[in-house]
Amino acid sequence: MAKRKSIIKIKPRKYKVGDIVKVDFIVIHPMETGMRKDKKTGKIKPMHYINEVKFYFNDELFTTIIPWETVSTNPYFSINMKVTGPGVIKVVYKDNLGEVNEKSKKVKPKG
Amino acid sequence: MERRSFLKGIGALPALGVLGASSVTLLAKESKPKGKNAISFKKALEVITHGKGAKESDKVHLVVPEIAENGAVVPVKVNVELPIEQVKSIHILSTKNSNARCADVFLTPRNGKAYFATRIKLGGTQEVVAVAVLKDGSAIMAKKPVKVTIGGCG
Amino acid sequence: MKKVVSLALSLALAASVAVADEKLSMSKADRAMYQEMLENNPADIFVEEGSELLDELGGEEALAKFLDQSEKSLPKYIAGFPRYIDKIGMVVAIDQMLQAFMYDQGKKPYPLKSEEMDALQAYVKSLANGEKINIDVNANEHMKKAYKLGKQMFELRRGKRGLSCYSCHAPEVVGLRLRMQILPDLGAPNVKAAATWPAYRMTKGKMFTLQKRFQQCMKNALLAKLPLGSPQMVALEVYVTDMAKGQTIHIPGLKR
Repeated sequence: MAKRKSIIKIKPRKYKVGDIVKVDFIVIHPMETGMRKDKKTGKIKPMHYINEVKFYFNDELFTTIIPWETVSTNPYFSINMKVTGPGVIKVVYKDNLGEVNEKSKKVKPKG
Repeated sequence: MERRSFLKGIGALPALGVLGASSVTLLAKESKPKGKNAISFKKALEVITHGKGAKESDKVHLVVPEIAENGAVVPVKVNVELPIEQVKSIHILSTKNSNARCADVFLTPRNGKAYFATRIKLGGTQEVVAVAVLKDGSAIMAKKPVKVTIGGCG
Repeated sequence: MKKVVSLALSLALAASVAVADEKLSMSKADRAMYQEMLENNPADIFVEEGSELLDELGGEEALAKFLDQSEKSLPKYIAGFPRYIDKIGMVVAIDQMLQAFMYDQGKKPYPLKSEEMDALQAYVKSLANGEKINIDVNANEHMKKAYKLGKQMFELRRGKRGLSCYSCHAPEVVGLRLRMQILPDLGAPNVKAAATWPAYRMTKGKMFTLQKRFQQCMKNALLAKLPLGSPQMVALEVYVTDMAKGQTIHIPGLKR
């Protein structure tokens, strides 16, 4: 199973308990629509897109995103999160071909 | 010298191009949906709101560019100005893509604010619609047109 | 009757042209939105990958040592590429310098075409983020020669259509539109071409280096592609980089 590259960013960089922060998630993924032709072979590239992104904070599911193939290549998703204390944000993402990957980031509020 | 004047002539071309484009969009009929996930905007909205339909509201703040440089990457930002406890989900739709759905986001109180941002593909000039489904089952929405242009160099 | 129709037509034409002129250009708010996207650039992931690759090679410390620089002066030094390096004996851009560096470390250099090289050179150039481009085309004979060759390549009309870089980026045509796109002045502060590449191209969904961008341009204009790292290609990079001299570097960029 191919390992996908992804990144989680928390904005702003410094935050306190009780703040609402932005959680940005970017992943390198082709997001094929199933309508484009391969220029070299002339065959239609099969549909390949991320169809579920789940955001966990300390193993508690707090946001589910269902993207469709109409989301851009190398998709970017941004949501808000209320910081209640230190912990780990985990993002689990699946695509329509059954690939499952995850990425984690520590949450370290100051003050 | 001929080359120079030709280059200067390029400046006049866009005007012609636009005229052509606008008349084309007037003539263009809605193309038939294709692809596995194809669903029309009307139907998608029906599914999301359980047939109740959505009311336009200024509580939903949808931010999209008026003119997109590139249809493959159109930034979309949605803010729903209601307490997070009242908002169940946010849906982003387009009116003319063969699959009208772009993303469905299911929120919980931990989100703090009903906010979502992403980038979507648009197959052409059309409207982007953001629908927020509330806890009481009703739905509110906002829509904005986006012009998709074609660039010159690759 | 005919006259009325033609009058109406010409009126409609005039109106549509007027409207078009207003709606064609992106508003400032739109530009700001695209600017904001820079913060969430997918190319950041590639740059991060490049940093891991450099760590494998001994990190910035080893690179600084190879270039006879201290870690502190390294960013300023990198902001001056392409430059002539005595050890290598020719004018090189960052990618070829890195190849020499890898060879020096006893590793097999990545090919110029490879994605690893793209990531690595993007990271190395991003070390100079915030610095101003300080290329010196009069530093020595080799640089002077490269600049001259670069200018020649920029203006040389080649291919079936007889196009050159100058065809679209001459001062006379800059600002005009090619289809819907404004022809950019490569040296202008809002474009600062050389200071923003390697960049993520939204149309391709990938990160490209300046030299690879030149190749795409050549392909579309029906010119034979200059090979990466060839003297002509490096010279072209020297010339284009010099156009953006004094502009602040911001890697990775985000392009249409």
